[in-house]
Amino acid sequence: MITINLNGADVQVEEGWTVLDACKFYGIPVPTLCYNDGLTPYGACRLCIVEVGPSENFRIVSSCTYPASEGLMVRTHTKRIIETRKMLIEMLVSLCPQSKTIQDLASKYEVTRVRFKPKYEDCVLCGLCVRMCAEQMDAKAIGFVNRGADRKITTPFDIKSEVCRTCGGCIYICPACQLRCQGPEPPGVLCNSCLNISYPCVDVHNNVMCYMDPCGACLLKEADEKRKESK
Amino acid sequence: MGRLKSIWEVKDLREKLEREPSRKLPCIVVSNGTCGQARGSAKVVKAFQTKIKRHNLQNKVMIRITGCHGFCEVEPNIIIQPEGIFYQKLKPEDAEEIVGKTVLNDKIIDRLLWQDPESGKKVVYEKDISFFKKQNRLISGNSRFVDPTSIDDYMAIGGYSALCKVISDFSSQEVINEIKNAGLRGRGGAGFPTGIKWELCRKAKGDIKYIICNADEGDPGAYMDRSLLEGNPHSVIEGMIIGAYAIGANEGIVYVRNEYPLAVKNVGIAIEQARKYGFLGEDILGTGFSFDIKIAKGAGAFVCGEETALIASIEGRRGEPRQRPPFPAQKGLWRKPTNINNVESWANVPFIIQKGAKWYSKIGSNGCKGTKIFSLVGKINNTGLVEVPMGMPLWEIIYDIGGGIPGGKKFKAVQTGGPSGGCIPTELLNLPVDYEKLTEVGSIMGSGGMIVMDENTCMVDIAKYFLNFLKDESCGKCLACREGIDRMFEIVTDISEGRGTLEQLDLLEELARVVKDASMCGLGQTASNPVLSTLTYFRDEYLAHIKYKRCEAAVCKEIISSPCQHTCPIDTEAPVYISYIAKKEFTKALEVIRKDNPLPSVCSRVCHHPCESKCQSGEEGEPIAIRSLKRFVSDYGIKNQKAASRKQKRPTIQKKVAIVGSGPAGLTAGYYLAQKGYLVTIFEALPVVGGMLSVAIPEYRLPREILNFDIENIKDSGITIKTNVKIGKDLSINDLFKKGYKAIFIATGAHKSLKLGISDENISDVIPSMKFLTRVNLGKTVKIGKRVGVIGGGNSAVDAARVANRMEGCDRVTIMYRRTRLEMPAFKEEVDAAIEEGIDIHFLSAPVRILTENGKFKGVECIRMKLGDIDKSGRRRPVPIEGSEFTIKLDNLIVAIGEKPDLSFLSKDIEISKWNTIVVDPETLSTNRERIFAGGDVVTGSNTVVDAIASGKLVAESIDKYLRGESLAREYKVTRPSIYIEPGELTEKEIAEAKRPKMPCLKVERRVNNFKEIELGFTQKMTVKEARRCLRCDLETEDGKKAVGRE
Repeated sequence: MITINLNGADVQVEEGWTVLDACKFYGIPVPTLCYNDGLTPYGACRLCIVEVGPSENFRIVSSCTYPASEGLMVRTHTKRIIETRKMLIEMLVSLCPQSKTIQDLASKYEVTRVRFKPKYEDCVLCGLCVRMCAEQMDAKAIGFVNRGADRKITTPFDIKSEVCRTCGGCIYICPACQLRCQGPEPPGVLCNSCLNISYPCVDVHNNVMCYMDPCGACLLKEADEKRKESK
Repeated sequence: MGRLKSIWEVKDLREKLEREPSRKLPCIVVSNGTCGQARGSAKVVKAFQTKIKRHNLQNKVMIRITGCHGFCEVEPNIIIQPEGIFYQKLKPEDAEEIVGKTVLNDKIIDRLLWQDPESGKKVVYEKDISFFKKQNRLISGNSRFVDPTSIDDYMAIGGYSALCKVISDFSSQEVINEIKNAGLRGRGGAGFPTGIKWELCRKAKGDIKYIICNADEGDPGAYMDRSLLEGNPHSVIEGMIIGAYAIGANEGIVYVRNEYPLAVKNVGIAIEQARKYGFLGEDILGTGFSFDIKIAKGAGAFVCGEETALIASIEGRRGEPRQRPPFPAQKGLWRKPTNINNVESWANVPFIIQKGAKWYSKIGSNGCKGTKIFSLVGKINNTGLVEVPMGMPLWEIIYDIGGGIPGGKKFKAVQTGGPSGGCIPTELLNLPVDYEKLTEVGSIMGSGGMIVMDENTCMVDIAKYFLNFLKDESCGKCLACREGIDRMFEIVTDISEGRGTLEQLDLLEELARVVKDASMCGLGQTASNPVLSTLTYFRDEYLAHIKYKRCEAAVCKEIISSPCQHTCPIDTEAPVYISYIAKKEFTKALEVIRKDNPLPSVCSRVCHHPCESKCQSGEEGEPIAIRSLKRFVSDYGIKNQKAASRKQKRPTIQKKVAIVGSGPAGLTAGYYLAQKGYLVTIFEALPVVGGMLSVAIPEYRLPREILNFDIENIKDSGITIKTNVKIGKDLSINDLFKKGYKAIFIATGAHKSLKLGISDENISDVIPSMKFLTRVNLGKTVKIGKRVGVIGGGNSAVDAARVANRMEGCDRVTIMYRRTRLEMPAFKEEVDAAIEEGIDIHFLSAPVRILTENGKFKGVECIRMKLGDIDKSGRRRPVPIEGSEFTIKLDNLIVAIGEKPDLSFLSKDIEISKWNTIVVDPETLSTNRERIFAGGDVVTGSNTVVDAIASGKLVAESIDKYLRGESLAREYKVTRPSIYIEPGELTEKEIAEAKRPKMPCLKVERRVNNFKEIELGFTQKMTVKEARRCLRCDLETEDGKKAVGRE
């Protein structure tokens, strides 16, 4: 066992754990996109960033690929991290606004505006499918080609791969091909529907749901009001 | 020669090599690196070889073919040793002469010598050339003594002696201590202490360890690693062997890009030779220590310079970095401990061992030891590789070694560290160059690229260029870098094409910080540097692009259309009228000129033609003679009495506007207001109309009848001019309002000469330049003596000097200026003409004291100056040299060090700046008092004619809006010509002959005693031919391409 300092508290973690493992174990929510329990951590989406020390300048690293080591100081929810993460989500939404996974991230982390022109890509290059294919399906039918802005995922030479068994693992794990909630599309690329839920038990139906004491909707409403007040 | 088995055998061999008779012979050293070969050095080598053979000198003269000597600007070059004679820019034909004259007869060939641009003197020896003088060529200097393909050459200058020393005297820990004590830091850019890095790797667990030489040099504009590998590969190999010995590695890899074929070849040869001599392989020099080196060729990805990506690439995987830890020292190549150093770091090692850590640590600054090689490129006179001690101020590198900016242009910024470095502006030129200082100002040392930029560089465009490079070179693995750089590029492109918004600018800054923070590897973490540093130091330029749609450097195509039109303060459509001239439609051309300029004949003679300074033809050759073309058209108009057309006149609006001052600003404002239908009256204090145009500019530059032609034209538009009315004396500003004027424009100019601030300057023979010029121009009598001195370097100084020179009784005129010719603000052609007319100019001299005898002026005592570091204006500061005082005997002294406005007539309620100028809103030219506007020199201080015209034009707009009760806010648009004209095709012959014609002038002897106009004007044939040379930049925009139907 080694000791690390997580958001100010000294905690024990197993040797060989990553910082993300530690955060998960201690129940600290760190968003991820390109991470999956069954696959090698890749560190591409940068959503799981945390600040690590010790030093005068904490630097930002991806927690999924950073090994926990004795005396390491980790901060997961500083202003710098939250703002950086929001910008990353903003870029993800503009890249692929049709993905439910990404829209959910936007709502969860309160990204309420997108300042970039939408690209409507059908891939965010998280690499989950590539690792799924190689590590779980043992096929290695797909991989990355090109670099920089031209990077994409495809089969060798863009032709049907002989080793592909059409298992569908890549599609299963893809966060970009989960279409966002159907229904009337709000203007712009952001969905944010989850942020704008209207509560059923207001005014007219005052007591309708109150056999649940207190009902979930009331709690949500209360929390929402509190949040507005504090702002 | 077989394998050497002990250090004694090495010593014997070295002694034998040193004794070789051929090493004592004179030697022609030909620089034949990649840059030399690009300029034909291979042919020069061949020529020398045949000449030597022909003269049968094989046993008397050696030829050594070496790598680059560093002075790329003058390749191909040779050094004749042992004297060190330096010949430059050679052609194969020169070989015969060099062998015949210099080698055989010790004669120097003057035309092949390097000329010092500052003093104009030819320099014979390499050591005296300013480019080499201030350098400390510790690492790069040996290239000229060794043939890179000869291990014997390297051994003869002491090569591999450091290795012997290590093997016989040092334990591996002692080697590491030595490197640590020397303070060597990684030359790849991050500056991590090399000794500590080695120690980490040495202490890492494992039997197999690797060392790697990182020669994946991919920055645009950096090539010192290539030059070292090409010119002196053995120094790198020796460093690696010593490193391997210290770390305990058995295998080394040189990772070099395949685009460096000569470097790959020379390193390959060197490794082979070292193996043959027993410096590599099993049981090196009988010590039992085994080590060998392989070459791994990189495919040219910039990101593979990052160590984890480099390792992935050697292992045969995609060149993608991973997050550290684990560091390569723990898990590197094939998951074994690995130490990676840059080429230059390895090359430093033998020197440290040979000369000792103590000696080495004396070179350089605090915390940064040794030297660093920079590749000095861009807008710089002496392009090349320079090696200087750490901590040398930037300006010394740029001015003393680099020789300053070509073409007398102004320095703007220097980008250090390649595409991920930052741009350092003029005000930081005194910065000492080392790792920490560069990081402090937002840049990095990087690989040592140093790209110098002049005033014609747009910083938005630079940011865009580097982002474009990084966008393609990012590996694309992590979102922050791949998507972030792409988005930054998108925003900067929007800004550079005139679509940017202020919100986008904030977003850009925010995004840049995110990319810097959240990226996985060094590429992304530094990718924002060009954006962040330009945003810090050149934010104004971004704002100008966004708010005013202006690109000061005239680079961003979609904003500027053609640079000449964009640069013109009054938006003259130069490409349009030049096109008309090319089609011989002079009347149409004249109309185009007059549309934007009511004083075309004046401008065609005295404008300082900013258009020409930005002309694209001037980039490689000479700019189009735009002013001379305009002169031909305006003369054509005068000859054919073409009055300006008055079609656009509105019906008269019964509102009166008063203009104070009839200079170019006042006349222009009056003209345009009258066109809009206002009743305009101009009040002029002097008896003549024209302000500075008639009282400051001498007749030989602007004949009065030409000026009067333009003034008459303006008068015809219906304005009234009242001369001899001085506002403040004859009438007050309030009187004007009482008389019913609804708005007043103050354009009284700057007519008061500044004073020197030394005693006795008020005696009668010391004359302020403005007083002198005004009196001469008004035809009043001015008496001056035989010897006249002028102090100053601006146009009024040169004008005063040339006028004095033309006056009766004056024999000799001397100008004293405290800086050099390069810094002189006067127009270049005026200075040239003054020198032609026999006027002396004492540069670097400043007056200290006025000499008098019994209250009578006798002369002036001056002190010599030298140029020091950089001042706030970005020019080198003149510093007095103590004890260098000298006196000049004079009869008169004219003081022309600048002018300021005389504002004594103004009432107190108008705001005045500390430079004694009127404060206005620059966008509308309105003063703090309602209904009063001001423009021209009275606002800017003494300035150019065309800027005054521009303010007149602007104020006419503002006053019109004001009097119609509209908001004064202006709308800005990108520059476009009002019409696109199909370009003409040039014949092959025309293209070959295309050259800027020289303006025909009166001969010196026919002009120095009179005031006749000097410039005679182009002939029609010359004019049309020159107009056809125009490159038609206006067609390069999307609109232009569409308009002429070419994609």
